[in-house]
Amino acid sequence: MMLLEIIFYSFASVLICASLGVILFKNPVYSAVSLILAFITTGLLWLLLEAEFLAIVLVLVYVGAVMVLFLFVIMMLNINIEEEKSGFTKIAPVAIFLGLVVAAELIALFWIQSEQFSGVASLSNSDLSSDNTLLLGTELFTKYVLSFEIAGFILLLAIIVSISLTLRSRKNVKKQIAREQISADPKQRVRMVDIKRGGN
Amino acid sequence: MLTLQSYLTLSAIVFSIGITGIIINRKNIIIVMMCTELLLISVNFNFIAFSHFLNDLSGQVFVFFILTVAAAEAAIGLAILVALYRNKKSISVSELNKLRN
Repeated sequence: MMLLEIIFYSFASVLICASLGVILFKNPVYSAVSLILAFITTGLLWLLLEAEFLAIVLVLVYVGAVMVLFLFVIMMLNINIEEEKSGFTKIAPVAIFLGLVVAAELIALFWIQSEQFSGVASLSNSDLSSDNTLLLGTELFTKYVLSFEIAGFILLLAIIVSISLTLRSRKNVKKQIAREQISADPKQRVRMVDIKRGGN
Repeated sequence: MLTLQSYLTLSAIVFSIGITGIIINRKNIIIVMMCTELLLISVNFNFIAFSHFLNDLSGQVFVFFILTVAAAEAAIGLAILVALYRNKKSISVSELNKLRN
């Protein structure tokens, strides 16, 4: 039990430092790498909570797909980092104050009435941990099958929207226009000419 | 002893860091989107903690759907960002005032 606490507190401190790094680094590439570290640490903490499938999905989908997309966009946009540094400190005290207020409110909410949470904690047993993926899949394909379909549709929608937003048709590209080719009238294209036989 | 409050406190700290990052950043929309991801991950943390301590799998199913929607949101947001940069040559939050006046 002591080992679990050591793991939790070390990974929790790494997660908090990585989250701070996301908002404090000036260079967006460093922020993205810091966010990757935060996601990996979160995945490891989810392993402690016996959500193995979601931990793997978090690392695969977020670190493997979404953060690579972020890094790709950051490097494609070619942002001027020196320009970013101005105007950062003006609003910073207000933001830090608001963040501290939100954190204090939430943490006070959890710890003032702690006896309500102690009843919750006693319910924990290892019933869910037998085969997390099997249980989650069973739940998804029986009880939540309609929501699963909707989630798939949302992903399809995201594909269509992101392609149609970023697609641009270039000028000056030589390509066939099939519509005009098919609807062309042969009488306009080919002219039959009677060639007179040369007098000889 | 790791209780539910430990996990909820950690998630609250990450959530407030994300909110601070959204407010503090006026120059770069990409950082704002990354802070949105931080907020989503802390909420997912809450779901999984409750799912573990209440012994109910519905929380994990919800996290699955939130991950799906967040991935779609990131893809569409970055596409909007690319289109915006193509038109304005800037991704600064404070310069996005085309609707003003």
